[in-house]
Amino acid sequence: MADLSLKFSSSTALDTGSFRLLELPSDLSKAVESALLSIKGDPDEDAVLCTGDKTYTLRSIVLSNSVLVVTPSQEDDGNSSDVVIRDQIHEVLELVSSVPRLHKLDSLLRGREYEEGRDEEEDIEMADMGENRSSQHVRLSYVDARNVLQTSDSELDRYLRDRRVLDLDGELRPIVPSYLTTILELILTNLVSLSLSHDAVPADTLESALEGGHDVRRDVARQVMGWFGILANGMWKMDAQAIVREVGLGILRPHRDDPIAQDAFLARWRTAVGDTFAAHVSLALLAGNYLSSTDSTRDPPLTTLTYLPCSQLPTDPAARFGDLFRARARWRAEEIAPFLADVAVDAKERDRLLLKYTRAVPGEGGVWYSARGR
Amino acid sequence: MIIPIGVAPSSSESNRAFPPQLVQFGSDEYVLIELQGSLEVEGNKDGQVVGRLRVDEASKKPTLLIGHHLLEGKLVNLPKPLAIMHRSMPRDHDSDQRDILMDGGLENRRSTQAQSRWDIVAVVKRKMVFPRRPMPMVGRVASLPQTEKR
Repeated sequence: MADLSLKFSSSTALDTGSFRLLELPSDLSKAVESALLSIKGDPDEDAVLCTGDKTYTLRSIVLSNSVLVVTPSQEDDGNSSDVVIRDQIHEVLELVSSVPRLHKLDSLLRGREYEEGRDEEEDIEMADMGENRSSQHVRLSYVDARNVLQTSDSELDRYLRDRRVLDLDGELRPIVPSYLTTILELILTNLVSLSLSHDAVPADTLESALEGGHDVRRDVARQVMGWFGILANGMWKMDAQAIVREVGLGILRPHRDDPIAQDAFLARWRTAVGDTFAAHVSLALLAGNYLSSTDSTRDPPLTTLTYLPCSQLPTDPAARFGDLFRARARWRAEEIAPFLADVAVDAKERDRLLLKYTRAVPGEGGVWYSARGR
Repeated sequence: MIIPIGVAPSSSESNRAFPPQLVQFGSDEYVLIELQGSLEVEGNKDGQVVGRLRVDEASKKPTLLIGHHLLEGKLVNLPKPLAIMHRSMPRDHDSDQRDILMDGGLENRRSTQAQSRWDIVAVVKRKMVFPRRPMPMVGRVASLPQTEKR
């Protein structure tokens, strides 16, 4: 082979700094050909790279060597023995799979909760207050959220769904939990009164019934149906278990500080979902959301429940155990497990955390976990 | 703020490819060459010749002759593939400005945001590495410009 002449590009000022090297993790190297990638972040944030469904943190690795980006000559004179240095690079960008950064959304959505009736008055009120007030309540659209949040699209969608955030008139608004419970109960009772099978509900019929009889906005009803089942071709396949669970949470939610008797709670839950779905009622659905305690001095012993949602506990393991042991001094393994499900990826990880942060004491009916002394 | 990253495996700006001996060190249009230290050039380096690159047909060993210094290189497979990203030049700069004038100031912010766009122009799994210090060549006079390697 003839010698190649290695040259600098003829437009070094333009080319310098115009190349970056991005190290691709194995799961991304295939996706890169089809996926839409983007880098997200404000100047004061660490940048992340988002694919359609994943978020990666970008880290710059400084190289002691330099890497030349070399391309064929772009001169038109056809001198094929020239190759051209386009850029000299001293860093490689490394991608580390990371959790989406969504905590900013909570503060952005604060004060924009959607509840029936309250809505219109508030808007008028806000208009009266003038600009000062409205600047605090900036309307956040879905597109805004995509721009602001360091997350992939499908992770954002899942979060909005899990947080029960409605997209109304181009604005993201979390639904007030009590109103959601009301809508779900209405859906269940209407299914019965319209004698519809919950496997195939004509979405339009249900929406009309909710709108006509109970003033539920059609777009609200439709999005709620989307959260609790599958909407396709105008038919809705209801996820009965998910609805029953949410209704149960709605009943339990006020009992954060004052416990409710387990039997009374289950009875209210069954009534709320109606006879058709009473069979789905089970405390297991609410795992990780309640704390049960038994008062054995009563006869018969009285079991009471308090609302303790896992999702509102700290994500840091040490802080999480601190809160759990403040709520109760001793835990059984099967009781504490649901509260660790979102901090430990598997049973092995969970055991490791238990070993690190708790003292295990064999006692009546198995092992009890209590806080480690300092 | 979002910086979109496009995927453009074959760049439109050039349809030229490397000779096959070089393609095996990277892709059709991109090769990464790793050097110890860096190339330091004084003055304008546009279009200046750095050295002669040769790939031995039999041993497939690359050598790079810079001035009186010879570098011996080798092919290194990358543990993880590298995507080469290239910033797209705001080629339609003039039309952008016209838009701003026509739409008033409203579009102003958007067009400044749109200016940086990156494309993945190639994904390479290999690189050419010159790991050692250069060997001085005696008795061979190469008339090459003042490019020195530190």
